[in-house]
Amino acid sequence: MAPDLKSDSSAPQPPAKPAKDAKKKKDEKEDLSEEDLALKQQLELYVERAQDSDPGVQRLALESMRQEIRSATSSMTSVPKPLKFLRPHYGTLKAFFQKMPESELKMYMADIISVLALTMSEEGERESLQYRLLGSKGDLGSWGHEYVRNLAGEIGLEFQKRRSEEEYISSLMDLVKQIVPFHLQHNAEPEAVDLLMEVETLDILPKFMEKANFKRTCSYLLSCASYVPELEDISVLDIAYQIYSKFEQHTDALRVALRLGNLQYARATFAACKDLSERKQLCYILARQSETVELDDEIPMEDEHRDVLQDIMNNTKLCEGYLTLARDLDVMEPKVPEDIYKAHLIDGRASAGASVDSARQNLAATFVNAFVNAGFGQDHLMTSPAESSGSTSTGNWLFKNKEHGKASATASLGLITLWDVDGGLPQIDKYLYSTDNHVVAGALLAVGIINCGIRNDCDPAYALLYDSVTKDDPAVRIGAIMGLGLAYAGTQKEEVLELLTPIISDSRVGIDVAGFAALSLGLVYVASCHEDAAQAILLAMMERDNDDPLARFLCLGLGLLYLGKQDAAEATFEVVKTVNEKISNYCQVTLESCTYAGTGNVLKVQKFLSQCSDHLDKGESHQGAAVLGIGLVAMAEELGSDMALRALEHLLQYGEPNIRRAVPLALGLLSISNPKINVMDTLSRLSHDTDSEVAMAATISLGLIGAGTNNARIAGMLRSLSSYYYKDPSLLFCVRIAQGLVHMGKGLITLNPYHSDRFLLSTPAIAGIVAVLHACLDMKAIILGKYHYVLYYLVLAMQPRMLMTVDENLKPLPVPVRVGIAVDTVGQAGRPKSITGFQTHTTPVLLATGERAELATEKYTPLSSVLEGFVVLRENPDYVEDHLN
Amino acid sequence: MPSVTVSVKWQKELFPSVEIDTEQPPYVFKCQLFDLTGVPPDRQKIMVKGGLLKDDGDWSKLAVKEGQRLMMMGTAEEAPKAPEKSTLFVEDLPENEQGVIEQGFTAGLMNLGNTCYMNSTIQCLHSVPELRSALKSYSAGAGTDMDPSSHTLTLAARDLFGELDSSHRAVAPLRFWTLLRSKFPQFAQQANNGAYMQQDAEECWTQLVYTLSQRLRPSSGETREATLKNLFGVDISSRIKCAETEEETEEAETVYSLKCHISQDVNHLNEGLKQGLKSELEKTSPSLGRSAVHSKESVITRLPQYLTVQFVRFFWKRETKQKAKILRKVDYPLVLDVMGFCSEELKNELKAPRELLREQEDREAGLKGKRKIEDGPAPSSMDWSTTEQGSPTGIYDLVAVLTHKGRSADSGHYVAWVKQENGKWIEFDDDRPIPQREEDITKLSGGGDWHTAYICLYKSRVPKKE
Repeated sequence: MAPDLKSDSSAPQPPAKPAKDAKKKKDEKEDLSEEDLALKQQLELYVERAQDSDPGVQRLALESMRQEIRSATSSMTSVPKPLKFLRPHYGTLKAFFQKMPESELKMYMADIISVLALTMSEEGERESLQYRLLGSKGDLGSWGHEYVRNLAGEIGLEFQKRRSEEEYISSLMDLVKQIVPFHLQHNAEPEAVDLLMEVETLDILPKFMEKANFKRTCSYLLSCASYVPELEDISVLDIAYQIYSKFEQHTDALRVALRLGNLQYARATFAACKDLSERKQLCYILARQSETVELDDEIPMEDEHRDVLQDIMNNTKLCEGYLTLARDLDVMEPKVPEDIYKAHLIDGRASAGASVDSARQNLAATFVNAFVNAGFGQDHLMTSPAESSGSTSTGNWLFKNKEHGKASATASLGLITLWDVDGGLPQIDKYLYSTDNHVVAGALLAVGIINCGIRNDCDPAYALLYDSVTKDDPAVRIGAIMGLGLAYAGTQKEEVLELLTPIISDSRVGIDVAGFAALSLGLVYVASCHEDAAQAILLAMMERDNDDPLARFLCLGLGLLYLGKQDAAEATFEVVKTVNEKISNYCQVTLESCTYAGTGNVLKVQKFLSQCSDHLDKGESHQGAAVLGIGLVAMAEELGSDMALRALEHLLQYGEPNIRRAVPLALGLLSISNPKINVMDTLSRLSHDTDSEVAMAATISLGLIGAGTNNARIAGMLRSLSSYYYKDPSLLFCVRIAQGLVHMGKGLITLNPYHSDRFLLSTPAIAGIVAVLHACLDMKAIILGKYHYVLYYLVLAMQPRMLMTVDENLKPLPVPVRVGIAVDTVGQAGRPKSITGFQTHTTPVLLATGERAELATEKYTPLSSVLEGFVVLRENPDYVEDHLN
Repeated sequence: MPSVTVSVKWQKELFPSVEIDTEQPPYVFKCQLFDLTGVPPDRQKIMVKGGLLKDDGDWSKLAVKEGQRLMMMGTAEEAPKAPEKSTLFVEDLPENEQGVIEQGFTAGLMNLGNTCYMNSTIQCLHSVPELRSALKSYSAGAGTDMDPSSHTLTLAARDLFGELDSSHRAVAPLRFWTLLRSKFPQFAQQANNGAYMQQDAEECWTQLVYTLSQRLRPSSGETREATLKNLFGVDISSRIKCAETEEETEEAETVYSLKCHISQDVNHLNEGLKQGLKSELEKTSPSLGRSAVHSKESVITRLPQYLTVQFVRFFWKRETKQKAKILRKVDYPLVLDVMGFCSEELKNELKAPRELLREQEDREAGLKGKRKIEDGPAPSSMDWSTTEQGSPTGIYDLVAVLTHKGRSADSGHYVAWVKQENGKWIEFDDDRPIPQREEDITKLSGGGDWHTAYICLYKSRVPKKE
């Protein structure tokens, strides 16, 4: 650059007239400094000599040229000097090359032309690659990164071309095998992976993996998986699994196996892992995803250990851990609904409490109380500590609810003692003997709720519920059926199938019982593609009238069977097209949205959007399901969900009323337990909409996006809504429910179905959320009607949002951790910080959506790379106490 | 005896070794568990593979293994019973009652253009149940004899009150207003632009009460005094003393409100009332044959059921030619005791009921045990609400406040703050009823530009019948 600067600095001087001519002349000489001029002449000489007839001279010239090119340094923005000066001779060299006889020299020449093609080649000619293949095939890297990168790009294009013309590709592959290790050695893992993906030979990747680069490579692979087309993503994950397995990263391998939904892999990982503590960690991961690996004799271990591991896998430790967290954070004291409503902060209005009980408001209080005290085992309404006064105080609140409200009230007991099977069931027992059918129904539902996500060898839920499924009273039947669905979601328990299929197919039972049975079946066999279950539901759809709001549960049950299974549902989809047209459209949309749930498939999102653009004359309801579908499909990753948010905003402006009503729900789904400011503001605006159903949906969604966060801003919004809508009992009910959701588990619980750094999707969780959202599509008939207990489906998604560190004997181990906002470090150079804006806490700690934790001490090493839920810590043998402190 | 040893988990307890005699029916096993847990066999639920253990099941088919852990559920607790009296829900009530009960207050009144003075007056008077029932029984044919305009106004008031009771949406008092204007032309004063002007609420109140007192006579044959007088009238006896001649005259009159005078040293309602009952006036002394300064001292000889207290906040300011407002802060209590302003005879009369009232209240607060009243005639045998006295105790509770916001009586804004029967306070700002807290009601005592109490309505506290 220095010579250029010199010539520049001379320019501003006002030159005399004769000097001007001189300058013109100089310009023609391209402003070259003496040094450059010498180089240029030198190169011109080489070019001339390279065309010499004497091979010795040729060789010397080519060698020198090569030397010049290699030794040239370049910045990203400028072309290296030698290349620049050789440009005019590119054509000459190419022409001469054609005339050269086959020889070693010709190959050298090819190498040089290949490099020159980097800057000279016409767009799409891929001459660099062409000459490279003719060249000496020597060391690639010596020509510089830019050259390799360019080659990789041309290989991708050439590969596509050759494949479409069915040409031979092995010569390309040889080159690929040279480029990949080069990239991997130079911290360019993403490029290596990209190249392999372009030439569709990702399967050779594990061969090149080393201890130093496999982590970065895998993290890139995993993040790629969300963006590649279906089927290919499976192979990408598969490779990642192989690499993790190869390097004995069992927890990571297990996560990938779970992402793939491949239980053979999970089992293989478990078997490959010999260390007991690590196995414990694997069990914790399995439990979080509510999957199990059967610990039979094929996985050798001591019986004693087997019990411990089985216990962890059955999730029996969840309750204990949750209560430890609650005690640590000092939130054990039960809260009453009034603590949540905070009426004293509202100007006067709420103090005008009525002198007469309102069944609807009491019901709302029941739900608020249940959500807020969920899992704590104690509250002030249902489980009164004053057992001495008999059942009077407890009974009182129960009977402050009306008819079906009593079912929800009794069931709330299940939520309060959530996960605590041993402690909770005895409290519910007495209600099973009640003479009031609604109370019995609630008690059965409570049994299901307690067992949600927990497995038990004795199977208490099934033992208690199966009898009541066939009772006469529809309320009792629904209670038992829903209980089974909750308790065995995702377990594929055959007894439940046998129990429920006759009910679904029996055309004499009411649509409500059949609908709940289908939904429960869908939950138990979620994402299983189970044929018999699908048959039973399809049959019911064909035979029934399906005009009831609850018929949607038939569709949803069917959809859940294929949750996230993409084209596995094609055959079923064709059948659905033939059923009763009243429901066919709704069912098609629901099925499609479920099958592509969490896949981020852009084509499906577009399809749903186009369905929403139709203006329907008849009161068809499938557009609402399509809007939910957009959310469901797009929630897979951040970019997709951001785009969906934008699309939904358009729907809001131009959509028909039935679409507008579903938009807030889709927003809630996209941002569940993740109170983003923009979503919050949109929902807050919609909660004052003139269409009361839009307002109701927006209010519930405000609860969903703030679920379990105690978010003060949402709480404030809801408080002001409660005074705004104090005269409208339906909306007030929705506001109360939302308030309960925001303070769910006093802020210790999340509804987010994604966990493990947003990598894994819990299928029962998403199924539960979708069930509630579909119910919300017809708020008046279901949630404001007599089926409000569908709100309890949310329990499927409820999980403590904690990081609980335990030692190798599973005792809680408080250690300092840094908690901050997660940073995407995939593909970044060096060792970037994975969190930002962190604070240091001592475990157990709460993690919000989008937050990540890392240990702040070297004293322990975590056995899991993702610090979420339960993490086993092992003492670091290399740790040296820092004496400075 | 073939037997299997199992462990049984019950709630959080574990019974490690329970022997099962596999030849006996499971009922025997349940009885064993009854001994251990105290749960009767028919309440026990024992989970075995594939469901619950039946009383008459067969152990051999259940394949219970040695050392297996069984889980038992069940408690001896009674199933919860519904309370005898079932809860009454708002949703069960007929629709037209729902609105009122759900809100706990009645409807508001629409502002027809500077009519807040009238609206707030009506809301305050509407809070008096006795007045409501008196109006209800007022028939259209009652005495069209003399004053037809006050008759129609009373009828309009009756209809308006009825509408307020039943509606849960704001009511437009159109007819009442028209009639009020025609009866009292001073309210029909128009501004330059033709709109009716803001008026003094006190004037409206006084006129309205006066009209009603004229019309609402008890049905014939009864000796009791006029309803309104019984409700609101305060009998006052005054001694007028001439400062020069020491001559004294006695006068008795009935007023419908006590005046609270506001001067430099008045900080509390009591002080203001005291000043209001003492005044100086110039009148012709018969002995001197010329006008002289007389001092007038009044005492109350009869108390009404509802005591109206008016703060004399407005005075005619000559230079601005309007009724200017005294902003001075004058506190008023939620419970007012007027014993100090009563005549000696009245004080004596009040003593026994007051004693009784205090006792009842103490008992309610749980301070004292039952104490028999030994001396004197048992006052409890009397029905206080039917006595000659409107108030047997002289103790009053605040039930309504009419406030004014602004700087002169003929401008600004009038609002009524009314205590509902359920004890909740509602601010009736024209058509908007807004719930308020009791502690905020006493903050309307003036001293700034906020709503300032202008008229307070107190209701007498009556000892309960025993």
